[in-house]
Amino acid sequence: MTRIAINEWPPDSPPDLAKKENVLLVAKLMVNGALTAPFTGGVHGVEAEIGHGRPELEKIAREMERLAHQEVPKKLKKPFLYEAAMVRESDAVVFLGNFRARHTPMDAGCGLCGGEPDCSFFYERVSHLNGVVDPTDRKRTTAINGPLCMLRAHDLGYAVGSALWIASTHFVDAKPSYSVGLAGRNLDFCMNSEVVVGILIGVAAKNPYADIPPEYHLTNMTQMVDGLRKIAVITRQVPNHPYMVFDPTRKTGDQDKKEEE
Amino acid sequence: MAVYEGYEAANEHMLEVAKACAAAAAKAPTLTGRLNLRMEILTGEDLEPMIQVLETLGKTSAFQLHDATAFRAYKNEGLLPPVLLLGADLTQPPLWNCGGCGFPTCGEYLKYLSKNKGVGVGAYGPTCLWKVIDLGIAADHACACAAQHRAEARIMFSMGAVSMFLGRLEGCSFVLGLPVGPVGQNRWFDRMPWTKVLNYEQRMMTQVAGAPNLFFAFSGGGRPILKTKPRWWEDPTFMKIEQDEAFMEAMAQGQAEVYEKIMGYAGVLEEEDSAE
Repeated sequence: MTRIAINEWPPDSPPDLAKKENVLLVAKLMVNGALTAPFTGGVHGVEAEIGHGRPELEKIAREMERLAHQEVPKKLKKPFLYEAAMVRESDAVVFLGNFRARHTPMDAGCGLCGGEPDCSFFYERVSHLNGVVDPTDRKRTTAINGPLCMLRAHDLGYAVGSALWIASTHFVDAKPSYSVGLAGRNLDFCMNSEVVVGILIGVAAKNPYADIPPEYHLTNMTQMVDGLRKIAVITRQVPNHPYMVFDPTRKTGDQDKKEEE
Repeated sequence: MAVYEGYEAANEHMLEVAKACAAAAAKAPTLTGRLNLRMEILTGEDLEPMIQVLETLGKTSAFQLHDATAFRAYKNEGLLPPVLLLGADLTQPPLWNCGGCGFPTCGEYLKYLSKNKGVGVGAYGPTCLWKVIDLGIAADHACACAAQHRAEARIMFSMGAVSMFLGRLEGCSFVLGLPVGPVGQNRWFDRMPWTKVLNYEQRMMTQVAGAPNLFFAFSGGGRPILKTKPRWWEDPTFMKIEQDEAFMEAMAQGQAEVYEKIMGYAGVLEEEDSAE
């Protein structure tokens, strides 16, 4: 084989899978950007994981839909459902998590977490031994087990920002999202991190994350294509004709005469 | 027709790069879509109060002294770069009830905020987890833009905090400062102006105090020797843990001095306002 055919359609066809390989290269470069982003004190605190392939993306989308229907507040239900549809239209997902925000705070007294010139707000609300946080207690009563060191969480923003920068520099569409991050974390992506952001990435003629119509979880292109497949088969059974012997574009009675000419 | 001196022209260009950084930050995708990022570019004399407060802070903290020394030196050389300030009010949550702040709901968080909003070393709190990540994304885009323009830059907690305390970007709970320039090599990493501040011994003592593990001798005796000299076994130095009242007092005095300075500037600003 000396040729590589690349195309965004049909989904998961060899030309589309070839395109997904390209996107995966960018996903890996995005992680480079995330790991070298500016961090507080230059301290490493970010881990990354990439999810790709139909089965993996489907699992993530389904967890988002479960969260939408069963866990998140009402105002997040639609965003979570819409973004699940976007996961299915994405080529890959880059997860970035901060593994320090919950377990190894910056201890700088910055004031972000509780508005105090020390870290008392954080340490008064977590289980710890003289400031060493107990990471074995993983029980959660909320989506994120807070409080977190907000200066460490701020670092995660830089990682996400640089990953997005790399994506857009390569003309790969990208969208950072809470829903994808939460679903990914629940599925053990970036499993050392309490807070995880999921970045959807995709290559398509139309940015899959912009120009979103209402009820997008029901009106997206996958739904439209299936709507066409479901109805076109029925429709063709009404105007059917024995095309070898009959052409409905010609007037009745002329059929045999014209054949002789 | 005109001939421009290269470095002069390049340093003047840094203001344009700072503006590009602001555009990049404004364009940065966010998670909440409601960051309400605010920005300002400070130049020249408008940076003098910030440098002075950093110098005062630097009397008791090497971290601020490190930045103050560089800004002062660049100003003396006529190379003071523009500083892009990026800030936002991070106390307002998007009502997602995620729990990241430590409260079960955003409602509980807001109740706490209304009675306990306060300030730490460099920022107001409490803070919404997603807003503080969003500000990171925006600030990162400003940094990335500077890097792509091959401009010297470093995102600074110190310069941002001092600017906020001196009244810039009023209403923000967290402000960062990004000096863009001066042109050259490693203006904000291995800084030339810093070479004159600490001698070799002071640098090595900072290493020992900050990361003593590296210099620990056999600790099985229960009283570990800290290897502070070539013949460390003679008149050994022991690690001792104790409270330091003299240092605490110096810190408190330093903070009082900083507070006085900031109030002084606030007073000056009010006088100017009333004169107009």
